[in-house]
Amino acid sequence: MSSGQALIEELTALAGEAKNTLGQASSFEALEELRVAYLGRKGRLAQIMAKLPGLTAEEKRQAGQTANTVKEELTAHYTVRLEGLKRAQDEAMLAGFDPALPGRSHPTGGLHPLSLVSDEICRAFSGMGFEVVTGPEIETDFYNFEALNFPPEHPARDMQDTLYIGDNILLRTHTSPLQVRTLLSRKPPVAAIAPGKVYRRDSDITHSPMFHQIEGFLVDKGVTMADLRGTLTFFVHRIFGPDTLVRFRPSFFPFTEPSAEVDISCVMCEGKGHVGGQTCRVCKSTGWVEILGCGMIDPNVLKAVDIDPEVYSGFAFGMGVERVTMLKYGVGDLRLFFENDVRFLGQFA
Amino acid sequence: MLLSLNWLREFVPYEGPVDTLADRLTMLGLEVEGVSRPFAATADVVVGHVLTREKHPDADKLSVCTVDVGQGEPLQIVCGAANVAAGLCVPVARIGTVLPGGLTIKKSKIRGVESFGMICSESELGLAEKSEGILELPAGLKPGKTLAEAMNLDDVVLEIGITPNRADCLSVLGLAREAAMAFGLPLTMPSVHLKEDGPDASTLVSIRIPEPELCPVYRARIIRGVEIKASPAWMRYRLTAMGQRPVNNIVDVTNYVMLELGQPLHAFDRSLLAGNFIEISRAAEGMRFNTLDGQERVLTTRDLLIRDGAKAVALAGVMGGGNSEISERSTEVLLECAVFNPATIRKTARRLGLSSESSYRYERGVDQPGSLFAMNRAAALMAEVADGRVLPGIAEAEPKPWRSSPIGFRPAKAVSLLGIELANDFCRKTFQGLGCDVDLTTADAWTITPPPARQDLEREVDLIEEVARVYGMDRIPAAMPKMLKSLEVPDRLGAEVPFMGRLKTWACGAGLRETVNYSFVGQQELDLLGLPGEGRVPVANPLSEDQNVMRTELAPGLMKAVRHNLSQGNATLRLFELAKAFTADSASETTVREAHRLGIALCGARFGSFPWPEEKVDYSDLKGLVEQLLSSLGLPDAQYAVQKDHPWLSPCVQVSLDGSVLGVMGRVLQDVADSYEAKAGLWMAELDAEALMALHQHRSIRFRGLPKFPPSRRDVTLVMPSTLSVGEVLGAVRAHKAAILEDVAVHDLFEPEGAPEKNVTFRVTYRHAERTLTDKDVDKAHNGLCDALSKALPVRFQ
Repeated sequence: MSSGQALIEELTALAGEAKNTLGQASSFEALEELRVAYLGRKGRLAQIMAKLPGLTAEEKRQAGQTANTVKEELTAHYTVRLEGLKRAQDEAMLAGFDPALPGRSHPTGGLHPLSLVSDEICRAFSGMGFEVVTGPEIETDFYNFEALNFPPEHPARDMQDTLYIGDNILLRTHTSPLQVRTLLSRKPPVAAIAPGKVYRRDSDITHSPMFHQIEGFLVDKGVTMADLRGTLTFFVHRIFGPDTLVRFRPSFFPFTEPSAEVDISCVMCEGKGHVGGQTCRVCKSTGWVEILGCGMIDPNVLKAVDIDPEVYSGFAFGMGVERVTMLKYGVGDLRLFFENDVRFLGQFA
Repeated sequence: MLLSLNWLREFVPYEGPVDTLADRLTMLGLEVEGVSRPFAATADVVVGHVLTREKHPDADKLSVCTVDVGQGEPLQIVCGAANVAAGLCVPVARIGTVLPGGLTIKKSKIRGVESFGMICSESELGLAEKSEGILELPAGLKPGKTLAEAMNLDDVVLEIGITPNRADCLSVLGLAREAAMAFGLPLTMPSVHLKEDGPDASTLVSIRIPEPELCPVYRARIIRGVEIKASPAWMRYRLTAMGQRPVNNIVDVTNYVMLELGQPLHAFDRSLLAGNFIEISRAAEGMRFNTLDGQERVLTTRDLLIRDGAKAVALAGVMGGGNSEISERSTEVLLECAVFNPATIRKTARRLGLSSESSYRYERGVDQPGSLFAMNRAAALMAEVADGRVLPGIAEAEPKPWRSSPIGFRPAKAVSLLGIELANDFCRKTFQGLGCDVDLTTADAWTITPPPARQDLEREVDLIEEVARVYGMDRIPAAMPKMLKSLEVPDRLGAEVPFMGRLKTWACGAGLRETVNYSFVGQQELDLLGLPGEGRVPVANPLSEDQNVMRTELAPGLMKAVRHNLSQGNATLRLFELAKAFTADSASETTVREAHRLGIALCGARFGSFPWPEEKVDYSDLKGLVEQLLSSLGLPDAQYAVQKDHPWLSPCVQVSLDGSVLGVMGRVLQDVADSYEAKAGLWMAELDAEALMALHQHRSIRFRGLPKFPPSRRDVTLVMPSTLSVGEVLGAVRAHKAAILEDVAVHDLFEPEGAPEKNVTFRVTYRHAERTLTDKDVDKAHNGLCDALSKALPVRFQ
């Protein structure tokens, strides 16, 4: 037998063997090992091919053809097996797959509901062009009371029971000092809102010694109470929906005149005064709930910040973030906001 | 302020529904907060006429009566009261009636005698706190009539919130004025008929007022021959309906007239007053005075006293003295009717914590010209209900008579401020309806003189408010303001709010829940954390011990949130708070420095539930958060150094960056953690948000080209003493400064428990900027590094 013939037989034997072994490879790793063993740079096929140079031209041609055919066959067997293994793997993924098994959880963070509502209110106003300003939580009597037209020993001071640090130093009882601070440093036209913590010496089921307010004010020439109503109506519709009714009711604040309290149609009973035949507990069947206080900035306040009330006018309003949040989300108990129970906090994401 | 509808109707003939009245008052700024019917529980009780009264056959103290109740046969009723007698008119609760206490009357047998109802006492009817015997009604009442109708008990009481400016509405009269104006009804004042008799009071008593500013007017009348007893039923029931406890006829009259007309009054027992004058003057510093509530009060020179010829007899405008009060033995009354300086009364009432109906009205201002009418009304009532004789004449001093203050009003100004069209005629009618004098001589600048009761009307803007109030504030239309405004915003504005928002957003993304805690805590909580005593900011008048100092750090507040949650069984917590901490700072305008802090608290499980493994949070979790925060703010790696002797953290690691301290983090001392119920350990960080903001604002962002050639990585495992920090190894690697060394990181750690050594694997990355590294290049550099490490540190290579 010529050596050419022997080579061809060797190739044929290899093809027969490889067909079996490749076809039975049980894993990607085993298949890869076989591929290297047969088809690799130093594999069996390469070893046989290395003997080609010792053959005659005719033998070379025949053996070469056979070698190419064998290589194609081996590659084809390899590919078939590879695809078979992939398919088997895909099928194995399905077997016993249980979509109901729990996901690997990642902690969910979130803002406090008071932050969420405060941010939402601030966004509503900054969208209208109001700047957001902030200031100290500990204030002087001047900024908190005197410049806001609360004379010493005036009964209006009783409206805001105050926590003191020193003689004329106190925990701000409202965010209104920001009106004074801002208007002292800025010339009209000014439109700003001031969110922040405020403090009162009052603690019971409906009062917290610390709570949050948002103050808003706008000063320019020719500002009217109708402008105030328009601004607040826009705000109420943003926060509580466009069908919410807005009611202005006369009231009193030392730093605004005329002053008004703003009621909105009850968010619980939609102003009907009853829910499912029961008296509405949110509005006590009046159909209205109080949401904020407002008014035209008192001329004495404008004078205190060197603005001539004969030339300029302005409006101011202030609201409790807790109150808005309670109405908006139906939270019934003020204390929940400061207990920080994660089961509570987790409901407002 | 409570308002009896029946009483109001004596002034204004309002016959409409209560709800309409309540709505109208509310929309006038007199907010009706509640409507009640104080005697509604007596609705089913009727007038009965006792026809016969026999002794009960088997009980000494019981009587068997027959009572005509206007329908059907007279009822047989067993009664235990001593005063029951034939011929009396009495209130009868028939079978089925429910009394105010909830008692339902049933047919019963009392000691063998059947009883078909109950004859009631005042206390059983809820008309008095206590009473003796059954209520004897006026003779001649028709049997069967309801008690409510017979005794005018069918009343409605409105509870009205009066704002501090509306002192005039602290009376039935003031509210009646508003109602009359609102409904266009006439206002009728009570008629006062004084029958005077005897010597002139002004010859018996003179009034001395050394400081007119403190007491612009003081008047007194004398009523002789009074008999002190309970007031008549109509007066007692009316006081009760208005929330005032009846005392005796004289005191009741002073309260009655105060509620009716708004003028506080005081009645002295004249037999207990020495000398022939009354002086209104300041107290001496430190003097003691017993008010009629039995309390001894220590006074200052800012308190005003009423004195007789020998002693102090009343704390002016606040409360009378025990030494001169009306008692059962009193026969002669000195009735005081005065006006005091509002601020003086307020200071005294506040300092003594003694707010009375009287001081409440005085500090808001009373109607000085109206006070004379109030005194005469009271004197006439005392004559009526106590059978007294009013002496003619008034002892009086009015060193500072009331002067009206006219105010200018420009209709155009009202229009421009309110944004509504107002007819001049409407404005004029409004002012007249409010009792103002209106002078229209100048068409565009009127002169308005408010009535003396309306002391809140001082300026044009006050009048504009009145116009808006009566016009209906709810009728003001909505318009959007238009502003022509420069878009320039000063630099200093606007940095803080967005940055703090960014911190919060980061924290949410990092899986932390925001908490909001009180800014104040208890001193003992700061002590518990071992925080320094100096620099604290105490609250001068705290509500409670646990809110008596401002937080110098967020930790004590955040720890309370941890405690609450753990006590509720919420065992895994990832909390944060962004709030201010407060420290004393004498350089500050407010004596306090306020600085934003970011607090983080972790406790419980590191991961969620299955399929995560069960592991507890530790330092690596906290540090990972801090590193992520800095990275998210674009800040470079910080330095982390152990801080010894931190008051409440151990280990405590100080985080700093380029020399500025950013805060601390670590494990809360177990003793402290235990007091917040965190027995399983609590990891906390507290960072200076202002420092973060400053660093963040000053960072500069420069793009660096991406590497063009691949890196080559080598791992090296060091056997090192367990006391040696990996930080030292990392520092030594960085100090080595090999040209192609790009990065080094801790890759693995094996630390057998109790062993003196640990194995730490570091992964070192090499890269050349301009070519692909060969194995040879890397081997050389890596061996150089290992040599350097073994020389610099007590380490071996595994």
